[in-house]
Amino acid sequence: MAQPVLEISQLKLHFFTDKGRVKAVDGVDLAVHEGEIVGLVGESGCGKSVTSLAVMGLIPQPPGKVVAGTIRFQGKDLTKASPREMRRIRGNEMAMIFQEPMTSLNPLFSIGNQLVEAIRTHRSCSKQEAKNMALEMLKKVGISRSGILDEYPHQLSGGMRQRVMIAMAMVLNPRLLIADEPTTALDVTIQAQILDLMKALNQEFGTAILLITHDLGVVAEMCDRVVVMYAGQVVEETDRRRLFRNPKHPYTQGLLKSIPKLEEQKKRLYSIPGQVPNPLGMPKGCRFAPRCEFAFDVCGRAEPQLLPVEDGHLSRCWLHQEREEGRGHEPDHAIAQSQ
Amino acid sequence: MSQTTPLLKVSNLKKTFPVRGGIFGKKVGEITAVDDVTFSVKKGETLGIVGESGCGKSTTGRTVLRLYEPDSGQVEFEGKSLLALGDEEMRRARKDLQMIFQDPFASLNPRQKVAEILEEPLIVHKMGDAKERKAQVQELLRVVGLDKSHAGRYPHQFSGGQRQRIGIARALSTRPKLIVADEPVSALDVSIQSQVLNLMADLQEQFELTYLFISHDLSVVKHISDRVGVMYLGRMVELADRDELYRQPLHPYTQALLSAVPVPDPEVKKERIILQGDVPSPADPPKGCAFHPRCPHVMEICKVERPAFADQGGGHFVACHLMDRS
Ligand SMILES: Nc1ncnc2c1ncn2[C@@H]1O[C@H](COP(=O)(O)OP(=O)(O)OP(=O)(O)O)[C@@H](O)[C@H]1O
Ligand SMILES: Nc1ncnc2c1ncn2[C@@H]1O[C@H](COP(=O)(O)OP(=O)(O)OP(=O)(O)O)[C@@H](O)[C@H]1O
Ligand code: SF4
Ligand SMILES: [Mg+2]
Ligand SMILES: [Mg+2]
Repeated sequence: MAQPVLEISQLKLHFFTDKGRVKAVDGVDLAVHEGEIVGLVGESGCGKSVTSLAVMGLIPQPPGKVVAGTIRFQGKDLTKASPREMRRIRGNEMAMIFQEPMTSLNPLFSIGNQLVEAIRTHRSCSKQEAKNMALEMLKKVGISRSGILDEYPHQLSGGMRQRVMIAMAMVLNPRLLIADEPTTALDVTIQAQILDLMKALNQEFGTAILLITHDLGVVAEMCDRVVVMYAGQVVEETDRRRLFRNPKHPYTQGLLKSIPKLEEQKKRLYSIPGQVPNPLGMPKGCRFAPRCEFAFDVCGRAEPQLLPVEDGHLSRCWLHQEREEGRGHEPDHAIAQSQ
Repeated sequence: MSQTTPLLKVSNLKKTFPVRGGIFGKKVGEITAVDDVTFSVKKGETLGIVGESGCGKSTTGRTVLRLYEPDSGQVEFEGKSLLALGDEEMRRARKDLQMIFQDPFASLNPRQKVAEILEEPLIVHKMGDAKERKAQVQELLRVVGLDKSHAGRYPHQFSGGQRQRIGIARALSTRPKLIVADEPVSALDVSIQSQVLNLMADLQEQFELTYLFISHDLSVVKHISDRVGVMYLGRMVELADRDELYRQPLHPYTQALLSAVPVPDPEVKKERIILQGDVPSPADPPKGCAFHPRCPHVMEICKVERPAFADQGGGHFVACHLMDRS
């Protein structure tokens, strides 16, 4: 396969707080190829946003620091890029739709001002041309009111702010688009419109897209491959069909079971028992072990690796890994599970 | 309070925002964010509100709690008008009326530690002594699934979903009677989402809490609500019992909305009703039925006359001219 547009290898990103070291990203591998849409899902706080902010070079430092690993963008290691280089790449070749629009829209400037500024930083064009580009793009994301360029972020609804950001990220046709929960504030009809727009960008220009979302319906509709994270690590990676039909890792299985479904009515939803581990004190062995219904002796002792279960399907779980030292026999449910 | 008095009764609520333009910031127009909205919520009930982005859901929620003053209309809580309360009375009433905000980042004070954020409402409403308050803060953190060690951290040190849970804990702190929950789980992954939804259901049972639950996730709304209202461009266009609404949506907008829900199964292909045309501006809403430029069933009358929000039987309210024909 051709070289990926984005290739993250063994990335470790830690926050050094006065309470200790938070290992927010702890050895993550992830690749996105040209023309591909990769989904990134996982428990809240597992490190999805931090991973993508690291790619963008937007981790506040201190307290954050990339302590190991590489982030290659079109072959170039971004962990070694200068701030000036990052500014050139960001917003132009690589753009991000942020999870919380208010963190990236400046409340003091009008929408037009911010969009025009973003365009003119990277393209030599007149103010009027930039304005036209901005209006065109805003229309594509479903905002067509004429005065929009003169409005300020606080005058817009949550979903409108999100769409302004989407417009800002897409207007320059990046090679890589990172979309962090791009449609959480949108209703489904507009969500469908935005997702179609992202798909069109992807198909027409081969834009590589990393789509972070907790909406598994969106994953099912959009993604070619899916990467599942838990507690700072990748625990499963496979194509879309196998993720839904044959999830291997117990965490992924729990995630799929937790979705409220339109066609069924339950009094209580399934929820994975227990809590996300404290990032300052990760459990020994498998990080999911304290919450895993299949956990057995080795899980609490040794950390499983992310290994292929079959071709193109990786899982980080002792249920599917050879135990070289022959530690006891597999429990029946475990065997049933892995078949 | 008699059995039949709803906990919250909202009548003909209207809220506009000025549109300013030009170099002098003169008022050049008006956005009608909430336009003649009427509904009520019984004690212990959950009313879900869904609708297009920008249709006025958050503004409705905020106006009900008087975080915005309405232009006209009435809001009654436990049979008393909230709009008639003076500042001091309103301040006291806020103990019973809480809100979970849509944008947790913007609604948490970045200079306060989580413990302070959660304790503040307790201090304002003079609840408990310092020791009790501290215990209460720990309990709140536990309830929303955060670690004790999180109490000393600042909002920016959390992930989006963790911040949302801080917002939920804060809303719960004063043991309110009514919570307006504005997209409370949209920032959460499904496993924490299911925890929070179960939690909200438990708290509702335990304390007879009443929710106005705003969300664009139709599966979540179906799960948690007793009744559901659908808004479009500032207006309520349909309101019915949950099962009724999902089984038999009557308004064309509701039908389109339900058809667009993404299904978490890559092999299911759904027949989507694609809406034509752009979302109109609330500063210049279409005449007649606000949905008419995008409606697949539009008739002549729709372009000129605003349809009444009328009961089609059994408390199933719809604002659509198609109803007059049958
Ligand atoms: N500035 C910071 N200081 C300390 N810890 C931080 C900081 N920023 C993030 N973290 C921690 O890093 C971890 C990963 O956060 P991240 O925002 O990547 O989560 P996420 O997977 O995007 O979650 P969500 O789905 O809730 O958005 C969290 O445990 C968070 O508390
Ligand atoms: N403070 C404000 N000043 C001016 N206009 C506002 C203000 N707040 C909201 N609006 C406008 O009122 C309309 C309704 O906004 P609101 O935030 O209530 O929508 P919403 O239904 O909550 O949307 P979303 O699903 O995107 O959160 C929008 O057109 C918005 O631009
Ligand atoms: S390795 Fe063990 S504890 Fe971890 S997920 Fe697999 S079965 Fe559960
Ligand atoms: Mg995030
Ligand atoms: Mg809103």
